[in-house]
Amino acid sequence: MDQMKNPYLPELATVVKIIDETPNIKSLQVVFNDPEKMKNFRFEPGQVGQLSIFGVGESTFVINSPPTRMDYLQFSVMKAGEVTAAIHELHEGDVIGVRAPLGNWFPYNEMKGKKILFIGGGIGLAPLRTLILYMLDNRADYGDITIIYGSRTPPDLCYKYDLEDWASRKDVELILTVDNEYPGWDKRTGFVPTVLNEVAPSPENTIAITCGPPIMIKFVLQNLAKLNFNDDHIITTLEARMKCGIGICGRCNIGTNYICKDGPVFSLAKLKALRAEI
Amino acid sequence: MSIEALKETIGKVLKDVDVVIAYKEGFDALHSTPHFITSPEQIDKMIWNPLCVHNLTTYLPSMKNKKVGVVVKGCDSRTIIQFIQEGLIERGKVVVIGIPCKGVISVAKVLKAIDHKPIENISFSDNGDITITSEGEKKVLSLNDVSPDKCTTCQYPTPLIYDHLIGEEIKTEKPAESVYGDIREFEKLSLEERLKYWQGEFDRCIRCYACRNACPMCVCQDSCIAETRDPHWISQRLNLTEKFMFHMIHALHLAGRCVECGECERVCPMGIPVNKLKRKINLDMKELFDYEPGVKLDEKPPMFVFNVEEAKIKEHKI
Amino acid sequence: MAPAGFLSKKRMEDFLKEIGKDALVHVPVLEGNVVVFRPYGQNQTINLERPANAPPKAVIFPQSDTFFTFRFIKDPQDPKKVSVEINPPSDFPEAIIFGCRPCDAKGFKIYDKVYIEANGPDPYYMGRREKTTIITLACPAPSAGCFCTALGGGPAEKDGSDILMTDVGEGFYLEPVTEKGDKLLKAQGVAQLIEDGAKYGQEATKRQKDTHDSVKKPFESINYRDLSRDLFDDDRFWEEMVSKCISCGACTYLCPTCYCFNITDEKTLEQGERLRSWDSCMFKHFTLEASGHNPRPTKFKRYKNRIGHKFLWYPEKYEEIIACCGCGRCIRYCPVSVDISEIVSNLRKTE
Repeated sequence: MDQMKNPYLPELATVVKIIDETPNIKSLQVVFNDPEKMKNFRFEPGQVGQLSIFGVGESTFVINSPPTRMDYLQFSVMKAGEVTAAIHELHEGDVIGVRAPLGNWFPYNEMKGKKILFIGGGIGLAPLRTLILYMLDNRADYGDITIIYGSRTPPDLCYKYDLEDWASRKDVELILTVDNEYPGWDKRTGFVPTVLNEVAPSPENTIAITCGPPIMIKFVLQNLAKLNFNDDHIITTLEARMKCGIGICGRCNIGTNYICKDGPVFSLAKLKALRAEI
Repeated sequence: MSIEALKETIGKVLKDVDVVIAYKEGFDALHSTPHFITSPEQIDKMIWNPLCVHNLTTYLPSMKNKKVGVVVKGCDSRTIIQFIQEGLIERGKVVVIGIPCKGVISVAKVLKAIDHKPIENISFSDNGDITITSEGEKKVLSLNDVSPDKCTTCQYPTPLIYDHLIGEEIKTEKPAESVYGDIREFEKLSLEERLKYWQGEFDRCIRCYACRNACPMCVCQDSCIAETRDPHWISQRLNLTEKFMFHMIHALHLAGRCVECGECERVCPMGIPVNKLKRKINLDMKELFDYEPGVKLDEKPPMFVFNVEEAKIKEHKI
Repeated sequence: MAPAGFLSKKRMEDFLKEIGKDALVHVPVLEGNVVVFRPYGQNQTINLERPANAPPKAVIFPQSDTFFTFRFIKDPQDPKKVSVEINPPSDFPEAIIFGCRPCDAKGFKIYDKVYIEANGPDPYYMGRREKTTIITLACPAPSAGCFCTALGGGPAEKDGSDILMTDVGEGFYLEPVTEKGDKLLKAQGVAQLIEDGAKYGQEATKRQKDTHDSVKKPFESINYRDLSRDLFDDDRFWEEMVSKCISCGACTYLCPTCYCFNITDEKTLEQGERLRSWDSCMFKHFTLEASGHNPRPTKFKRYKNRIGHKFLWYPEKYEEIIACCGCGRCIRYCPVSVDISEIVSNLRKTE
C-alpha cells in the first residue's frame, strides 16, 4: 500500500518544548522527525491537525503558530478527555503523531486593507493567535488591529508571552479583561461580550473574528449585530467531536458541511445559511 | 377482554398523563409497533392482539420527566415491580394499564413456520388458532407452537401490578418447574459443549447493542462498558473475546434483576439466544437466595442488600 | 463481454470450489434461524432463498479494520527515549461475494462515491474493493420491508454487481456485468462448468419481472428536493415518528449504505493498533464531546441526522443519488419496527 496517499497515517513528530499556559492548558511545540517533511510542510492560518498519542488515540487541535514561523508547530491543549489527559503527561523529547494540515482557514487575503477586530475567550485565543501572528508578520497589509481577550481569572489567560508583546506594541490595541476582580489585576473586569459593548468598535471596514466558549460566542455575536456588524464580516470557528478529519466518519457534519473539512472557519453568514442542527 | 374497554380506559388515563404507550399496527401484517398516544384522536389507531410483543416499560426510566401511562402484559408487569424495587421509577408518575394475556407470537417462529414467505394477512381466534394468508394461501398455526419460550412456561399471565385491569384475570395452567426446564436440560451438556455452543452463537454478534438498549433493566445505557474508554474493558476489535466479554458483563449486571421479558433475545437481528444466559443466572440466584425478580413489591434484589449471613451460602472457614 | 451462461445447481458446489482456488469466497449460510455470510467451507447450508440478515458489507468495509500497528522502541542507551514504529497493512486478500442481493451490491456503489471518488481514495476501502468480485443473485422474492424499486433499484438491478445470477429453476442464468465478472466466467476452470445460457434468457427475464412487480412501493419515486424542509426541521415531526426508537445500532449496522466509523487505539504493553470500526449515529456517544457537550443529544436529533444523511445531504453532494437502497433490513430487524419508508413518505411534500 502506498503510504504517501494514506490519509489516516500520522507523521511522527517530536515534542521539542512544553509550555504551561494555565493550570489546565499546555502548549506543545512539535517538529516532524523527518527534516524533509518539516522543510516542505505548508499550512494556512486556522487549519487544524490531529495529534496522536499512540495507544490512546487522536484529537483535533488548531495549529496556533503562524505559517510565517516554521521552526516548529504549536498546539494548545486543555485537559478534558482521554487524549488531552495523555497529552498533558507528555515530556519534551516524546514522540507523537501528527496528521496535518486539515480543514479550511481564515480568508486572510480578503481581509487585506481592512481593520481587524479579534474577540477571544480562554483557550479560544488559540485559533486567533495563528492569524494575529501572521498579520503582525505582514503588518503593512492590514489596518488597525484590536484584540479583546478575556478569561475567568488572570492565571487563566493563555499566551502571556504574546500578550506582553502585543501590549507593548504601538500597532496593536490589546484590551484584556477577567470575569471578576482579582488581587493584583489592574485592567478591566467583566465578561468579554460586555467589554465588547464598552469598547464599541466601529463596523466600518472592519472584520470581526471571534472564538471562545459557546456561551461567550453566542453573546459576542448578538452584541456584534447590535454594533451593526454585517454577518459576512463576522468570522468564527466551530468545534465538534472529530475522528477522521477528512469529512467521512460522520460525526461533525452540519447538513452537508463537515466541520473538520469544510470548517472549522465559518462566516456568520455561512453559518446562518447552513440548515443547522446546532 | 374487549379492545373498546381498553380504549375507553386509555381515554380516561390520557387526561391525567402526558403520554400513554400502547401498540398499533406496524409495517406489515406480522408486526405491531409501540404507539405513543398524546391526544385522544390517536387512541383509535391502537390495537391489542398477540402481535403486541414489546415490553413497553422499557421506555419508562428514560421518561422520568413525564407522567406516563403504559400498557402491560403479565410478563411486562414484573418490570414495573423491579423498577420500583430498584428505585428506577416513581410509582406516582406511572399509570399501569394491565391486560391479562394468553400469549403472544414470536415473529421468528412464525416466519420459520411459513418458510419466510411474505405475509398478507394474519388473524387470531379465541381458541388460539392463527390464520395466516401468504402468497394467496391460508395456513392455520397454533399460538402455542409459535409463541416465544417465555409464553409456553408463563407463570404470570395476569399483571402483578396495575392501576387498571382490562378483562378477566387468567390463572396459569403451566407447571412452575417448567420455567427453567430448558436451562436444566442445557446444563446437562459438558462445559466444552456449552462453550462451543456459545462461541458459535456469539460469533454472529454484530455489536449493535439492540439487546442492551431493548433491556428495561439495563440502566447504564449511555455509560456502558461496551463503549467507555475509562474503564477500557472492551476493545473495538471484532473478535469473539470482545463479544463474549460484553455478553457476560451484560448477563452478570442482570443477576437477580432480569425479569425475563426476553426482549434482548427477541430484538437480536442475528438470532442469538441471549436471554438464555440471563435465565441461567436467574436460576442460580433463585436457588441461592429464593428470589425471583419483579414479583413482590416489598422485596429487594439480593445484589442490593448485604446480609452478614446467607442461609444457603456457607462461609469459608479461615 | 461474453454472452450469458448457465450454471446448473448440481454444479454450484464445484463452481464455488473452483472460484475459491484464488480467492476467499463469502457465501450466505443458514445458522439456526438466520442467514449470515461466511467464508465458504465444510458443513455449511448455503441459503439463497432469502436475503442474509446482515449484508456482506464487512467483506469490503470490515467491522473493525487495522489502519496500522505500532510498536514502541526503547533506546537501550537512554530508556526514557522511546521511538515509535508504525506499519500499515501491505496487501489485501482476493475475495468473492457470492449470492448477495442487488441492494447489497448497490450499497458498495454508494460507498464508492465517498471512499474513492470524492475525497481521494481510502486505501483500505479501495484495496479491498478492487480485489473483490461480486456475484449477485437476482431476488427471487421480496422480503418484508423491501422497497428497492421506489428508490430506482430493483430485484434484478445490475449496477454494483460483477455478475448477475437469476434462478431459473434447475440452475442459474449468469450475466456478466463488468470486465471483472466477465474475466471470472472466462477463467478456464470456471468456463468448463458453465453452459450456454441462451435458452434460459426468456425465463430469467420473466422471473426478474415478476419479482420486480411484487415489490411494495411506499412511494413512486423520490428526489431529495421532494422532501419538505419545513417538516424536516420540525422537532414535533421527529417526536411523532421516532419516540419509539431505542437508540441501538441495529439499523445502521445492518444497512448496506451506512458507513460512519470510529477510530480507536487498542494497546497491549509495548505495541498496539489503530482501528477503524463501525460506529452508529444512533448511539448517544457518537457525537458526545469531551467537554460533555453533545450536538445531537436526543434520539430525535440523531434519527433526523440519519434520514438527513441518506435522503438530503448525500444526494445534495453526490449527483442526487439517494443513499438508501431499500433493502428493508432496518425495518425488518428494528426492535420496535421504526419504518424508514414510512418516515420518508411522510416527509415528501404533498402536492
